[in-house]
Amino acid sequence: MSNIRHVRGFDLAKPLSIGVMIAIMLPLVLLPLASIFIFGTSNGLDNFWKALMAPEAIFALKLSIVTSFWATVFNVIFGLFAAYVLSKYNFWGRNAIIVTISLPTAIPTAVAGFALLLLWGPYGLLGRLIEPHGVHIMFTAWAIILANIFVTFPLAFGVIKPVFDTMNQSLEEASATMGATRWQTFWHVTLPGLRGAIVTGALLTFARAIGEFGSTILVSGNLASRTQTAPLYIFAKFNEGQVEAANAIAIVLALFSFVIFSILFFARDWLEVD
Amino acid sequence: MLKKLSILLTTAILLSACLPSPPDRSASKTITVYGFSIMKEALEKDIYPAFKAKWKSEHNEDIEFVSSFAGSETVTNQILQGAPADIAILSIERDADRLVQGNAANANWHSLPANGIVNKTPFIILVRAGNPKGIHDFADLGKPGIKIIHPDPASSGGAQWSILAIYGSQLKKSEAESGNKDTVRATNTLKAIWKNVISSPGSAREARTQFELGQGDALITYELEGLMMKQAGAQIEMIVPPATILSEHPAVLIDRNVTDAKRPVVEAFLNYLWSDEAQQAFVKNHFRSATNDSFNDANKEFAQIQQPFTAEYFGGWGKAYPEIIDAIFLKQVQAK
Repeated sequence: MSNIRHVRGFDLAKPLSIGVMIAIMLPLVLLPLASIFIFGTSNGLDNFWKALMAPEAIFALKLSIVTSFWATVFNVIFGLFAAYVLSKYNFWGRNAIIVTISLPTAIPTAVAGFALLLLWGPYGLLGRLIEPHGVHIMFTAWAIILANIFVTFPLAFGVIKPVFDTMNQSLEEASATMGATRWQTFWHVTLPGLRGAIVTGALLTFARAIGEFGSTILVSGNLASRTQTAPLYIFAKFNEGQVEAANAIAIVLALFSFVIFSILFFARDWLEVD
Repeated sequence: MLKKLSILLTTAILLSACLPSPPDRSASKTITVYGFSIMKEALEKDIYPAFKAKWKSEHNEDIEFVSSFAGSETVTNQILQGAPADIAILSIERDADRLVQGNAANANWHSLPANGIVNKTPFIILVRAGNPKGIHDFADLGKPGIKIIHPDPASSGGAQWSILAIYGSQLKKSEAESGNKDTVRATNTLKAIWKNVISSPGSAREARTQFELGQGDALITYELEGLMMKQAGAQIEMIVPPATILSEHPAVLIDRNVTDAKRPVVEAFLNYLWSDEAQQAFVKNHFRSATNDSFNDANKEFAQIQQPFTAEYFGGWGKAYPEIIDAIFLKQVQAK
């Protein structure tokens, strides 16, 4: 950070630019968020607490956390593996795979939802084969996890891969010449260099999965206390006209992402210092 | 470094392991009901608890209800795609027939009491308190400068009833004036009204929420919605058009999903919907009974309608959907 002053005396540019930045953020991000908090607590904290403690609301939050967690575990492990393979080896079709992994970013989440239905639904390509055996995937928690995996697929990979690419190859080579196995090299040399990227990738994936709506509403069945995630609960309550109930959970999700991104911000430093 | 990473990961895993996994949905004595948007209160507040108590006293067995509510077309599509419903309560007969065609429901749902219709309610217009835009009939909604919230007929059964209400009211009016059903006039009224629609949400309930949050001058919806809003103290007025439709809501058993073990209780619940007890519970929740008009007469809040009609006026849903919703609304009014 440089503190060189371009003008003598009081530097007007600093407060001015900070002010402009906040003024732009105010109507676009800060006020919409603030209105959730103001509306959610306008009927008193008692009502807010009651809305939050409704069994259906608690279930929805838990279901969101569990399904997002498993999607994150899968996508971080897969992202790490795919980044390893794709930066280590050059093969025919490599670029096609990199592009394919990134595709879910641009696909509307509703498309992700019905793509899963077309595959696993009772009339789907694979669903048709498993349904007679009593195996149901759509309209269960598995469907929610699959949808979360699909929409967050590129996130962890996208964070980990560039770190892999810029990693100092000579360290790994040195490790290999010193007689380390591939696995030892990976565990003791490669992985420590990736810890920041792994945590960032995991938190981004988790945060994105917990807010997922478009695909979940199509594949989950949206049954209260069964397959209704927190975002679906918000939508259902809003549609039923119970705006306070919707707001209470919206506040929880907003606070949740605040915590996640704060961890992201501070964990990076904490992990870098040894 | 790696230690820190593993601390983070272990904490995350431990935290997550503490959470319960979602319960198994195939528990034998659970009845899963998918309903169109406005069914929620009547079922959850009165019908479910009453049936639970009845079943408990007769069979000494606890049952659980699980339900999901959305626009009628949405609910139907979910079930066709495999959603685990045991019973569907729909806004329109067309959706019951779609479930039959999709081999999800039993074709003989009409053989249930009252032709398979559990309850009904007329279509009315909600306006802001004091009726500042001077709306007294459907045709007034086509005047310039009126902002209307109208659910989307692609996902909402209520939206389709509303279209039939507008169209039919104009046919009735022209019939009274000249003895002929003036379809051109009815189509033009639909066109004028649709031009004023500023938002088309996915269900009748969603449309009501938007209206409640202050959007729009008018909302065409079920009488029940207006009565519920009035009860909650909303600053609105209910306008009852001289001629309007009574929507009739079928309940169907989703044969494909009901296991043999569960069938007796699911069928008992389905039949219970037509019992006097359930019909009176519907009336208490502002629906009109499908089986007994004296229940309806007892409820003084229900509006008197001068010229009520039903889908029969158009020759039933088998004609109303292709000839009015599809050929006139979708192809002429919406597509322009």
